[in-house]
Parts: sequence; C-alpha cells; structure tokens
Amino acid sequence: MNTALNLSSGPHVRDRWTTRFIMHVVVLTLLPAAAVGVYVYGLKALWIILASVITAVGTEFFFDKLTGRPDTWMDGSAMVTGLMLALTLSADTPLYVPVIGSIFAILVVKCAFGGLGKNFVNPALAARCFLLISFPSTMTMYSVDAVSSATPVAELSAGNVVNITKMFLGSAGGVIGSSIIALLIGGMILWALDIIHGQICFSVLAGFVVFLGLFGGKGFDPYFLLAHLCGGGVILGAFFMATDYVTSPVSRLGQTVYGVMIGVIGAMFRVFGTAADSFSYSIIIANLFVPLIDTYIVSKPYAFRKKAIAIQNGEEKKPLLQRIPKPVIALTVIALVAGLALSGAYSVTKDTIEEQRLAANKAAYQAVVPDANSFEALDEQVSALGGEVYGSGFGRVYINEAVRGTDAGGNLAGYAISVTSNEGYDGTITLYVGVSADGTVNSISFTELHETPGKGMICGEPAFKDQFSGAKVSSFTLNSGSGDAKIDGVTGATVTSRAVVNAVNAALDFYQNSLKGGA
Amino acid sequence: MKNTFRGGVHPKEHKELSRDIPLRWFDPKGDLVYPLSQHIGKPAKAVVKKNDPVLVGQCIAEADGFVSAPICCGCSGKVKAIEKRRIISGALAECIVIENDGQYTPVEGMGVERDLADLTNKEILECVQKAGIVGLGGAGFPTHVKLSPKNPDAIKYVIANGAECEPYLTCNDQLMREFADDIVAGLELILRLFPNAEGVIGIEQNKPEAIAAMQKACAGKARVRVLPLQTKYPQGGEHNLIKVIAGADYPVAKLPADMGCIVDNVGTIYAIWRAVRFNEPLFSHCFTLTGDAVKNPGNYIIRDGTSLAEVIEASGGLKDGVTLKKALAGGPMMGFAISDLSAPAQKTTNGLTLLSEDGAEIALLKQTACLRCGRCTTVCPTGLLPELMAAAAQKGDYERYEKTLYGLECVACGSCSYICPAKRPLTETFKAVKAEIMARKRAAQAGGGK
Repeated sequence: MNTALNLSSGPHVRDRWTTRFIMHVVVLTLLPAAAVGVYVYGLKALWIILASVITAVGTEFFFDKLTGRPDTWMDGSAMVTGLMLALTLSADTPLYVPVIGSIFAILVVKCAFGGLGKNFVNPALAARCFLLISFPSTMTMYSVDAVSSATPVAELSAGNVVNITKMFLGSAGGVIGSSIIALLIGGMILWALDIIHGQICFSVLAGFVVFLGLFGGKGFDPYFLLAHLCGGGVILGAFFMATDYVTSPVSRLGQTVYGVMIGVIGAMFRVFGTAADSFSYSIIIANLFVPLIDTYIVSKPYAFRKKAIAIQNGEEKKPLLQRIPKPVIALTVIALVAGLALSGAYSVTKDTIEEQRLAANKAAYQAVVPDANSFEALDEQVSALGGEVYGSGFGRVYINEAVRGTDAGGNLAGYAISVTSNEGYDGTITLYVGVSADGTVNSISFTELHETPGKGMICGEPAFKDQFSGAKVSSFTLNSGSGDAKIDGVTGATVTSRAVVNAVNAALDFYQNSLKGGA
Repeated sequence: MKNTFRGGVHPKEHKELSRDIPLRWFDPKGDLVYPLSQHIGKPAKAVVKKNDPVLVGQCIAEADGFVSAPICCGCSGKVKAIEKRRIISGALAECIVIENDGQYTPVEGMGVERDLADLTNKEILECVQKAGIVGLGGAGFPTHVKLSPKNPDAIKYVIANGAECEPYLTCNDQLMREFADDIVAGLELILRLFPNAEGVIGIEQNKPEAIAAMQKACAGKARVRVLPLQTKYPQGGEHNLIKVIAGADYPVAKLPADMGCIVDNVGTIYAIWRAVRFNEPLFSHCFTLTGDAVKNPGNYIIRDGTSLAEVIEASGGLKDGVTLKKALAGGPMMGFAISDLSAPAQKTTNGLTLLSEDGAEIALLKQTACLRCGRCTTVCPTGLLPELMAAAAQKGDYERYEKTLYGLECVACGSCSYICPAKRPLTETFKAVKAEIMARKRAAQAGGGK
C-alpha cells in the first residue's frame, strides 16, 4: 500500500471560492452599470473603461514581473480597481486621465504598500482624488447628449430640480457609472452572495439619510433625500467602494461605525461644503480610520458578551438600553451633539452674518443704487422663490438676493437685485441690477463674468452694459424692439449677450411682481 | 426556530458514499494492538504479561487514577508483546499486542443481562468506569468523569449527540437507525443520574431515517425527545449543541456541566447501555470506511486494536488506478492525517477517509495574500475574529492574540481555513499558537515554582 501519504493539520478540504472568483463576481456585478454608461454616453465611455482596466491590469503585470513578486496581476483585483475608477469618471474625460489614474492606483496606492490586502485606502478612490487634484477642469466636465451640463448633485446643491427617474436609469448626467438601478442590482447580488457586508452598505446609507434629514434643511422630505441618495456616487460608494475588503474594518460593530462615519461625513460635505465628490473624500477619510477601528473596536467571542455571561450566571435579561453596546450610544450622542451644535451655531450667528453681509456688500449695492446710504435685506421675498429657476423664458436664471436701499432721509432710494444665469457661454454670470424708486434701471454691475476674452467679456464694458442705464421699461429685447428696450448685442457673443439680457429681465420681473409696492 | 448556531460552513458532505450501508461486524484475523493511552488523562496500566491468555471482554489494562480509563480486549488469544508500536497519531507508543486466535471466546459473565431495577447510581457509574468507556465522538474523555459533575441536580439537559456533522462519516447515522431503542434506553439510564434533566437527541436534518427511528424509539417516553438540527458544520461541536439546546454560549474554560448540560455521543450512549445492561465492556465501536479512493465504502462495527490496513484490504482495497493521497482518521474537517495505515484503530477512531485529492495540499499551492474579506469571521462559530488573530500571530503579538482577541477560545473546528478564499492555513496557525502560548505558560509556571 502507498506509504507516501500527505500529512498536514486539518481541515483537509477547502471551499471552492477563491480570491480570483470573488473579484470576478465583483467585476460582473459592476458590468450592468458599465453597460448603461456605454449605452448612455456611447463608445467613448467604453474606451475609457477599457483604457482604465487594461492599464490597471498591465501595471500590476509589469510590477509583478519587474519585482519578481508572485503573479497577482490575474487575480482580478486590478480589474476591479480599473473598472471602479472608470465608473467614477465622466465620459468626456480624455483617455490619458484614466490611464494615469490606473497607474497611480495600482503602482502607488496598491503595489507600493505591499499589494492586495495591504493598501490603506481604496486604490480607485485614491486615484480619483489624485485626478481631481491633477486635472480639476477635465475631471469636472460633464455632458448629456453632447450638451455641457452640471451634474445632478451640482444642480441639487444649487437648489434646482433634478429628475430622479433619469438619475435612477443613469441618463441624468454625471459619471459613467451613475445608473442607480444598475448599481443597485449589482450591489444586491453581492449582498445576497455574502460577498459584501450588509452592515457596511446599509449603515452608510442610514448615516447619510439621517444626517441629511436632520441637518439638510429640508427635513425628511422623501424627494430631497432620494435625490441626494441617487446622486454623486452614494450608491456606488456604499455598495462597491465602502465595502472594499482591504480598507474596511473586520468586526461587525467596527463595520457599522465605519459605515455611519462615511454616511455622515459624506452628508456633511453635501450640507456644509461643496457637494461634488463628497463621497470620494468621505470614504477615503473613513479608510484612514480603519486601523484605529480594528485596534479598538474588537468584538468579543459570543461567550464573553454581556448577554451570554448573564445566561452563564443565570441572570435575567437586561432591559434594552443596557444591551446596546456603549460605543453605539456614545457615537450616537456625539453625532447628535455635533450636528445640533453646528446648526445651533448657525442660527445664533445668522443675524450677525446677515449684518456683515449687508455691510460687506454695501459698496456693491451702492454701485447700482447710488442714492441710498443704508440697505435692508429682502430675504423673505427671495426665499419665497424656493431657490428654483426664476420664472419662465429667462433660461436657467436664479434670483440670489434683493435689498432695499433708503436715503439719508429714510425715503426709498431703490432696489439692488443680484441675479445669476447658468447660461453663459462658459459658466455662470452673476450681476446686480439697480432699480430706482420709480422703476428706472439705474445700472447693472457684474460680480461674476468669465466669458471669452474679446467676445463675451465685452459685455462687461460700458459700451454694452450702459445700454441698460436710465431705461424705464418692463423688459429689454436683444437686437430688436425700439427705444430704450432695444439692446445691441456684442458681435460674436450672442450667447453671453442673451444671457445678460435675460438675467436683467428676470430681475425686472422680480422687481415688478415681488418688490414694487410691497416692502 | 432555526435550531442552529451562528456561523458555520457547508462543506460537501459525500455521505452518499456510505450512508445507506448497514453496520457490519468486522472480525480481524491479525493481531490486535492496544495503545495504553487512548483517552484524555493518565494512560492505563497493563495488567497482563507476555504470553498471558486473554478472552474477549477481559480487562488488559486498568485505569491509573480517576481521570483515566481501563482497556478491554476485543478478541481471545494471548499476549504477544508489550512494546512500542506506531499508532495513528504517528507517534511510537507503548502498546499491548494480542495474538488473535480467531475464536472470540468471551470472558465469563459477559453478555449476561443485568437487572436494572435495583441498580444504584453509584453502581451505574462503576459499570461505566470498569467498561473503559470514553467519549467516542473523538475527544476520548473518560465518560464516568463526565457523568460525575459536582451537582447532578443542576443538570438540565443530557444531550445525545447524533449530529454527525463531519463530512463523509455515516456510522452514527446507521447506529441510530439500527439501534435506536438501545440508544434511547441508554439515554434514559443516564437520566437516572440526573433527576432534573431532560434527554435531547440532536440529529442533523440530513439524516431523516435516523430522526424517524429515534423519534419512534422516543415515542411515549416522557423525558426524552429528538431535536432535528440544521445541517451545518460544526453542528456537532459541544459548544454549538449547547447553544442550540440550552441557549447558552460558554467559554472553553467552563465545562458543559457548568451550563447544566451533559453531552455524549450516541455511540458512547450505546456503549453505556451495552456495558450496564449486558455487562459488555467497550471493545468495539462503529466506524465508517469511506473516501473517493476506497472501492467499497461501508459502515462497520470494528474491534479496537484492529489494523486499519486490514479493514481496507478486507473491504476490497483501494479503487483501481487511484493514487491514495491522504488517509484521515475521522473526516476531513476535524480528522487527522495518518502516515502509516498499519496503525491500529483506537476507541475514538470513528472513521477512515481515504482521499485521492488533498485539499490542504491544493490550498498550500494556491495560497494568496489575505484580502480581509471577513469570511472567516462570518463562519466562526465561537464569534472570534480569525483575520485579526492571524495578523497578531504573524506579528508574534501573543498578548493581543490572547487578551484582546480571545484567541485561546478557538476550538479548531477548521471552518475559517475551509472558507478562506485566499486558502490561508488559519486553523493550523491557531493550533500552533495555542500550543506555543500554553507551553510558555507552563514554562512560566515551572519557573515561578522554583
């Protein structure tokens, strides 16, 4: 009989799942989102995905070969990194961006720290943040149907209406992997297969929703919360990025704490900071806390948990409050106190902030209402607009603020209205329109104008903008009409000229409907 | 209620190889070899000399102290030698070698039915002790010790372990199908020692025939019931059974009796019944010969001391053209690899699994870096954090391993190694670290005693 038998310690059988298999499943679950991206944005999205994936895998291949390390390039993890990075890019990104990003992700974030299992932040997200810093303008260039547009989250944070259905399907603009339904399908499959930990993704979402509900300013408004959840990579982050094995904690409690942290930090960025990329940064920040969490939040074996010890000692069950682990209570209290403190500080200082604002802007107001020497804010009328696009026929125009100016004798001297148009040739245009007590336009003055030099920028020169001064009309018309109402556009800058005229008309409309007679 | 514990894995069962094959007595022709230490505790002391004649059921080695067990002969013949032989653990150990005359002449009084009515608890325990009964589930803890807790009145459950969660093994399944009445009678006998206890027979749901047979045997009996358990490894672990039945988690430092439980394998309970009722000491036990390398898998009642090679040969040997890679005493999860198949079966050898493919070897070749996926944490029935334990072990941070991560609570069930997608040898590491920490503790104690 055979005498050369293998000897080893048990167990002597193994599950069939390998690292490679798991990584390939993750790739498969990302494919629906990638497919929707290609469908919506066309082949250019496909090239970005391929460039990113091939560079990621290739970089790891060369690293393995050059350093003589065991071949890890085909274990699928580089493919996951490359694919995830591509899904977080705009379809308009030039191909060198995903290539550079993938090289950075694999070479610097992953391999330099020891390869799979050793990186301390998510490689794809770190690469995305690296790209955001390196190529700020290209990285934030988004378009839908070849028309440049703002991402839904940018619109949302500007207080605009977004189309949730479109966001759900993935045709609302933004990054390649923005189809919520496709991402949810993939995420749910991973969850059902126990590949991702439910406590991470659901605590991310819970932390995000609760914080936004409490401090987002709109309460638990389903539309508002849903719009935020569907935008800006929350779903991609919660199901695919936050759950990255290597950069998430080990114990269930640790995972929950980590998830809530991501959700809350992400929501804080949305509420108090710039909305863009809030989730990339919140996940990276939470990644950095993982070693700390793994050191201090270590669950005890079942037999050493309070309930088990109580049963071992034959004690009665404790009331619910005592069974909730202390760290959970502590963290909840800290989160609540911090949030309340922030919102409290805001409301206490609100009036002061307002006075300072009035003082700081006095010069700007006086530029358009020269007779006035004191101003009072008309926030009530402005907030009545709900921060939405003003009226119809003016394009994407918003009324920012309005003030009422009085002269030394306390008589009405006029109004200054700040208005922003998103329809400039190269971004937004913001200007003040001064209207005197009798409804005559005093003058306009730009506070934001970054149009094409020699063309759109000419709108900021007296030859163009002084056309508005002294006119007492209900609206202006571009290159048509007669008398004071006719504005001659700047040659070669029709878009800018029209945006300015529309913005001024919106301000006049607002004056006539909301300010005149009242206040 | 799901009737299971938290965690666990579902290794491929392979029970179909032998599950419906009835138990057969196997009478060896060759010598029987009895290692003096087949149980936890002090080794037995030989009470026979070379050339002494022996009979079936005769005591050939007696217990040395309370936590020890005697050894009874399974054949008739004479003592050939008392010498060092290779045993299944691979070690050389002192053994009594019996030359088998093939007659199987029983010792006087064996098989005589005993009247149970007047039997006192003390007499029952004495019977169990003299019969050399130890835990046949694999641990080999002397059963009379287990049945003598400090406070018998505090015992709430006597658990008959018929889970048989180990892949491949089917002999307990067959034992329960064929000897259901004897097992229930044995369980009732044990319940006489524990007036406040209920007898619960835990059986995994993958054994419907055994469940039916045991339920039939329990019918109309007030103090015993069958509890079907979810099929999941390691359902038959003592901690997991107690979790399901008594609802308690307890640390390894405590005994089942501290939790009001006594857990015995159904094979052990059957042996108790044979010993007390028929005055038949433990010299045989049920045994599964299985694995993809064996031609005719089957279930046997074998005599302790039988050479494993003889059982294989008599069954028809290995499959033609199959290379035997690994031979396991027991199943593939908790069993251990044997180097020499001529070693004798011991009391606790409940199976022999012969495999043409070695999962541990494949794992060694396919091993990759830990990606912290947490699958080991999910499956750990004890609630440990194997990936952090492995990291601490790698760093040599035994302080954190023991104090923060409770690494010594590991029961070495193998679930973490089994599930690891990176094929890392987790259980193996934990066994080694535990041995190292215990060795250091002993050294420190010895040093402190000076």
